[in-house]
Amino acid sequence: MHTGPVIVINPAHGGTDEGARAGNGLVEKNVVLIFARMLRSEFERQGFRVVMTRNDDSNPSYEDRAAVANAYRDAIFISLHVSSTGQLGAARTYSYQFSSPIAVVSAATAADAANAAGAGAVSSVPTQSSPSSRLMVWEEAQRPYSESSRKLADALQAALAQKFAGSPGTSARFAVRELRSVAAPAIAVEVSSISASDSNSLLAMGASLAAMIERSVQAMRPQGSLPAAVVGNAGGK
Amino acid sequence: MPRNLKITLGILSVAVLIGLISLHGLHQRIEHLSQEQGSEEQQRRDLLKPEISTPTDAMANAKIFWAAGADRVAPVEVQLPLSADPVKRARQVLDALIVDAPSEEQRTLPADATLLGFYILPDGTAIADFSDALASETPSGILSEEIAVESIARTIESNVAGARRLKVLIHGQEVDTLAGHADLTGFFDLNPAVVAAGAPSMSGTPAAAAAPGNAGGKSSR
Repeated sequence: MHTGPVIVINPAHGGTDEGARAGNGLVEKNVVLIFARMLRSEFERQGFRVVMTRNDDSNPSYEDRAAVANAYRDAIFISLHVSSTGQLGAARTYSYQFSSPIAVVSAATAADAANAAGAGAVSSVPTQSSPSSRLMVWEEAQRPYSESSRKLADALQAALAQKFAGSPGTSARFAVRELRSVAAPAIAVEVSSISASDSNSLLAMGASLAAMIERSVQAMRPQGSLPAAVVGNAGGK
Repeated sequence: MPRNLKITLGILSVAVLIGLISLHGLHQRIEHLSQEQGSEEQQRRDLLKPEISTPTDAMANAKIFWAAGADRVAPVEVQLPLSADPVKRARQVLDALIVDAPSEEQRTLPADATLLGFYILPDGTAIADFSDALASETPSGILSEEIAVESIARTIESNVAGARRLKVLIHGQEVDTLAGHADLTGFFDLNPAVVAAGAPSMSGTPAAAAAPGNAGGKSSR
């Protein structure tokens, strides 16, 4: 019986969008599909329910991919990429970075905020709202999940840095388009690079990557960093 | 040798001579045409190239952010004639970012890319409009697109006061992504605190000094 979050795996690109291409004919869309199947097996072994945004050479739109995750109450969205550049054998994890709103703050509002801060207020800085059942703007569906996404990305990146030389110690925050409309913790992982001379080493990297992603998701659950509905559920491990 | 054969050989020799002369002329015409085409291309590029020389230009150190290794950008100080007008100044530094890359390894934007327009709105939104080449020739990948965007954003924030966020357009249009990954439908934050001392703000007053340790390398955006 399924317990825990639904793992939505997104192999990037597909169809006429081949993604990065190597001189030897290796293309990103095929490599990430293999990675995705490895990752699916890893999670299924641990009792997770897994859904893939594509399992063939199709190329769903960004919105269709997000919609797959948004159809579930508690999902985790993991997108897989292989870069065309970067240090061979390194891997980077991303969470979505929204730009700060440019707010016009009146002098009175600023004074009130300063007074509140002086009186021991917890915070005068507007922060993201908690995920809730309210309707949200599709284009900003990821915003309430920014923090949980970042924590998951950081946890995974710490593991990647130990395993893959040249990988940064912390995750990156960047406006990766496919993550923006996902109403769930969402990360993108990019492996360097499609230009690896030995495709077998790239595939071996995919196997290690799958195990580390699965462990990072498991590790995050008891700390309450993932959706409340997830915490406490047995993942089967 | 029979007379008829002599005449035939003579005619053939004349024909070969005429052919060689024609071939030479044809070759010259092709060369001339290709040169004309090249100069037309040069004229087109010159026409599209933004006018970056202004009356207020003064030689100053600009921080241009090029690639430093495979996964980061870092500032390089370059002496440039910089305008007191922040919009023209932004065009000058972005033009340098594309044209003056010290090496191919340090290049962050395609050599064929050109800045078609640059504007700063009253709320501090900087709008950089690039030619199609930026989208079509940037290597596809999160990292490569992040490097491209970072180099643009950091170069603007380090040299142009008053710009608070960046919007990237391609040929005057908002596009979904740069090359399949970087979301260009939104804005990228700029940090006005890192603008170098002396850089003119939008109001024409000098900007505050750069925050120590904030100007180099990649930000933690």
